[in-house]
Amino acid sequence: MIRVVVICGDGLNCERESARAFELVGAKVDIIHINQLKSLKNYQVLVIPGGFSFGDEISSGQVLALKLKYQLADELKNFVESGKLVLGICNGFQALVKLGLLPKPFEPRTMTLTNNTQKQFLNRWVDLEIGAKSPCIFTKDMATLKLPIRHGEGKIVFKGDESQQKKYYEELKKNHQIVFTYTEDVNGSYQKIAGVCDPTGHILGLMPHPEAAINQLLMPYGEKKNTAGPALKIFENAVSYFQ
Amino acid sequence: MEKFKRIEILSNNLTPSPGIVQSVVKYLELPLQMAEEVRLYWIQSERKLATEVFSEIFVDDVLQTAITTLDDSYNKRDFDFVVETSFKPGVTDNSARSALDALKLHPACRGQDFKIATGKMYLLKGKLTSVQVELLSRKILANELLENIKIYSKDSFLKSDRFTNYTFPEVKLEEVPVKTYSLDLDDHELEKMSQDNLWALSLSEMHQVKKYYADEKIKAERLKKKLPSEPTDVEIEILAQSWSEHCKHKIFGSEIDYIETDNKTKTFGSSKIKSLYKTYIKGATNKIADSGKADWLVSVFSDNAGIVRFDKNIDLCIKVETHNSPSALDPYGGALTGILGVNRDIMGCGIGAKPIANTDVFCFADQENLNKANVPLPEKLLQPQRIFQGVHKGVEDGGNKSGIPTINGAIFFDDNYAGKPLVYCGTVGVLPQKTTSLKPTHEKNQKPGNLIVVVGGAVGKDGIHGATFSSLELTEGAPATVVQIGDPITQKRVMDFLLAAQKQELYCSITDNGAGGLSSSIGEMAAQTNGARIDLKKSPIKYPGLSPFEIMISESQERMSVAVEAKEIKKFLAMAEAYGVKASVLGEFTDSGFLEIFYGEKLVAYLNLSFIHDSLIPLKLKAKWTGPEERVFWHKKETRSTLPNVTQKIFEQLLARPNIKSKEAWVRQYDHEVQAATLVKPFTGKTMSGPSDAGVVWLYPHGGEENQAVTISCGMWPQISHYDCYLMALYSVDEAVRNAISTGANPKKMVLVDNFCWPDPVLSQKNPDAEYKCAQLVRANLGLYEAATTYSMPFVSGKDSMKNDYYQVDAQGKPLKISVPPTLLVTAMGEVEEVENLVTTDFKKADDLIYMVGLCQYQNLNESELSRTFLTDKVKPEDVNLDFNFSLYQKMYQLIQNKTFSSVHDISDGGMLTAVFESCLGGDLGAELELSAYKNNLLPLLFNESTGRFVLSLNPKDEKKMEAELKDFNLIKLGKVTSDSTLKINKDLTWNMSHLSKIWRGLP
Repeated sequence: MIRVVVICGDGLNCERESARAFELVGAKVDIIHINQLKSLKNYQVLVIPGGFSFGDEISSGQVLALKLKYQLADELKNFVESGKLVLGICNGFQALVKLGLLPKPFEPRTMTLTNNTQKQFLNRWVDLEIGAKSPCIFTKDMATLKLPIRHGEGKIVFKGDESQQKKYYEELKKNHQIVFTYTEDVNGSYQKIAGVCDPTGHILGLMPHPEAAINQLLMPYGEKKNTAGPALKIFENAVSYFQ
Repeated sequence: MEKFKRIEILSNNLTPSPGIVQSVVKYLELPLQMAEEVRLYWIQSERKLATEVFSEIFVDDVLQTAITTLDDSYNKRDFDFVVETSFKPGVTDNSARSALDALKLHPACRGQDFKIATGKMYLLKGKLTSVQVELLSRKILANELLENIKIYSKDSFLKSDRFTNYTFPEVKLEEVPVKTYSLDLDDHELEKMSQDNLWALSLSEMHQVKKYYADEKIKAERLKKKLPSEPTDVEIEILAQSWSEHCKHKIFGSEIDYIETDNKTKTFGSSKIKSLYKTYIKGATNKIADSGKADWLVSVFSDNAGIVRFDKNIDLCIKVETHNSPSALDPYGGALTGILGVNRDIMGCGIGAKPIANTDVFCFADQENLNKANVPLPEKLLQPQRIFQGVHKGVEDGGNKSGIPTINGAIFFDDNYAGKPLVYCGTVGVLPQKTTSLKPTHEKNQKPGNLIVVVGGAVGKDGIHGATFSSLELTEGAPATVVQIGDPITQKRVMDFLLAAQKQELYCSITDNGAGGLSSSIGEMAAQTNGARIDLKKSPIKYPGLSPFEIMISESQERMSVAVEAKEIKKFLAMAEAYGVKASVLGEFTDSGFLEIFYGEKLVAYLNLSFIHDSLIPLKLKAKWTGPEERVFWHKKETRSTLPNVTQKIFEQLLARPNIKSKEAWVRQYDHEVQAATLVKPFTGKTMSGPSDAGVVWLYPHGGEENQAVTISCGMWPQISHYDCYLMALYSVDEAVRNAISTGANPKKMVLVDNFCWPDPVLSQKNPDAEYKCAQLVRANLGLYEAATTYSMPFVSGKDSMKNDYYQVDAQGKPLKISVPPTLLVTAMGEVEEVENLVTTDFKKADDLIYMVGLCQYQNLNESELSRTFLTDKVKPEDVNLDFNFSLYQKMYQLIQNKTFSSVHDISDGGMLTAVFESCLGGDLGAELELSAYKNNLLPLLFNESTGRFVLSLNPKDEKKMEAELKDFNLIKLGKVTSDSTLKINKDLTWNMSHLSKIWRGLP
């Protein structure tokens, strides 16, 4: 059985629904408090769920990133290097970016997430396009998706002046690392980027919440049917990757 | 290198804050052109630290640079002034708390202690005088109650010594040893003593205290314990808290002499009422329970929140609180602590419930209306817009950062909320029905010998006298210590820990620390075991110098009190530590009959528990109902305009009214679907912008049955309080219920929560019309009772806030009083039997037929938003026929279960046409209404706001069947849904939907 670890604590708050999503597709999931997470050895998938770790103080995901870095250090490095999967959703994505695991692990940081142009938290559903050639394991055979965003700091920006920013962006694009793109500008994100993966496709980070669309009942409109929702496929893809 | 550092986090590229500029220009009319916010940290370490360490922690190097010395970094910025804000001593600084967490994670910092403070700088550009900068700093950028403001001109900023010169905000207190109060005083002196000490004890209560200490038996007991015969400050403060209006609800428990002299409104006859609460609130619930119609009530009125059983697996609890006075002083902190406080009520309900949804309702004055009327606010009052923004942000942070979805709410405007805003915060929680060892979860099981443990934050001066303060009216000299800022992350940690500890049954009882602090939480828990003994020295404190009584009554946030069996304490404390949560053993429960409070070795309070809890003599009040009054604003200005003679214009102006226009921009800043269980969201339909009538939470993800959900909805109708609060109560209940029914809730399984916010009904020199307000209170209770019992919907919880007045004496010595209109919020929680049968407000398909159903005469213009916007003939609100409405609701439920309707939307503010418009807007569709038969009474038909009505849409094939079912319910066919995005009435009135939508959303 595929084993998934979802971390919780310090203000993270989407651990239960993230765990439920993986359970629905047959994984065995442990929700583990970050203070107690010492080893990742037994797991194939690491999930850093959404929430407000450390209250989004300093900047969102920043303190959590420090904690992951100094607490898990080699564990995390080994996990990533052994080709296992990492999923960061919303605050989890922010932490992966601040930690430097995305867009390219263990390289100098070139991308970050900052305040939405509106300078406000925003909860709304968005339409997403999925990069067709993306190596991302989680989005195999997927083309579009409707998900909610729930963040105040989801605007992706690159380092440097305009030409440098463009260079970093083109590089991601060339590697097909831009997994999710909003169909309209929702928060000022560079070229409407909503989620990226590392060059191998094993690490995915995205601002929208796939765990919030795992049942048709949770969709914002349309017939109320208690059946699988469109985003469940993301979790299925992760599990079937190991089967 | 020095061990002190000031770090300014400057963005590499200019990142202006347009919101600040907007507020300054709009509300202060000052020519501010640009504002940029810069974050500040002051850090003192034991050993010197490399700049790289700070950078790694505090700077996102993709975007920002850390400025730590005077250099040329600011040269690339164009600004005229800099405003620096920092917290005053003792104010909760959440950024500093997280910064400390972050520092401690870094290997270079291990084993070190730090002092940290945070602040903000605003770089401002604009042709402003320094006086204007000072004004905008006070009005927009900072709250002087909590923050220090420092203003630099550009030159002085560039040359300032700010990187080397700084004093950390430190609370410097002299510990005041326990003192005693002699009560050997005359009445006047007793009253003065109570007032001066902010005890809010009435003269008769002071006498009651005096009598206790004069008792020979008590005297002997005290002598034996080596206590002075006079009360200690700790004792009298405990009594003041426990007996405060906030904690004891003395007005709702009072004996009222009700006299009726009016016969134009419904008559009940004069009567003597023993207790409003027991007669009408509890009375309604008991009557319904006795009739056997509510066998799903588990626990009502006895705990922090009411508990009900709609589901086979889990129980639900609900509680709604108000936080008005704190929000008037510090809107952000007040609202934040409001929502976090009611979350704690749920966390402390039964054996500890998990919050699954929030509901928030606010009442403010309308800034634009005040501006238009050119009414200057009293200087000490905050501008309504600022209160709105602060309250909204507080509730946003409180809900979002706790991971609890805000699924329902309302924002209501009336100029009479200028003196005190109303901030209602409610929370729904789930409880397993049985603990791991199969004990019922609604019972608290503390026993003598159990340890008393306080979990969560440390105690400071914050919130001292909060409970007694809110029992006093707001005046100019309100103390700053009543204001406090919550810390959602500390509370989230506490919540995560307690839910995990509960699974392992590491504690046996729990309650929250709210108003009154330890004196209330331990005082209440001790009532069950009949005694408690604690040592205040064992409570963690934020800073030294606190007096024992302050530790006892401080309302410092994020704390829960629990009872732990001695054999579990080790495990309990270890688990707390693992979750990063403070837990301190303060003492133990006893059965001595006394509350024994020590400070170290010294006994500082020794109070008989039955004296604390059961000795209050009921208040005696008079109520006189003399009939309806005119609606009057405190500023006495007419704000209505002439009624246009074109319906077109009337509707367009109504849509732009604050109580009708879209609140989407505000509501979308709340997370309304975290926990992934929100089935009906605040906005619905293809456009996701049609307002929903109720929020719905699926119970399955929370351990409930797969097809089960609950609706949360609210109703409030202070618009007609000036006319008759009896009718107002009926309107409020009906609206809450109607909103639930229209979403698909079961009328046979619905519970209510009542929250009264009233102007002071107790007679005093400055409150001469108290008897009228007391009569309004009585009549509201009569209305509540009648509505609840007719609908068979019991109250399970409720709260009242009875001093919502602002007093001030102006420069000429003329008194000014601003009182809120009597306001009753009714919250309804209803069962949803089958999640697939939920229905939303948006039209679904072109050619669906549109109907209106429900009782109304449509003959005259009634009291409505129309009559509040335009000058019309004298109008009165339409009556309510509860029996008719309830039959309709049952019928509606049956039809919704049969999936008869495509959409159902309740009719409320703005009447039928507004409801039709909202349904069109949600579905991205239009409508064609054929109303020529109503040519002569079109306005009443379109804009009446009477109760019990819905706009329905359905597939034409179901028309006959539906008409047969609803024929007795005043069914009116309105027209059909169209695909062409216009709203048409009788062919001669046409609106483009996108035009209306712009008006409604307030877009240019």
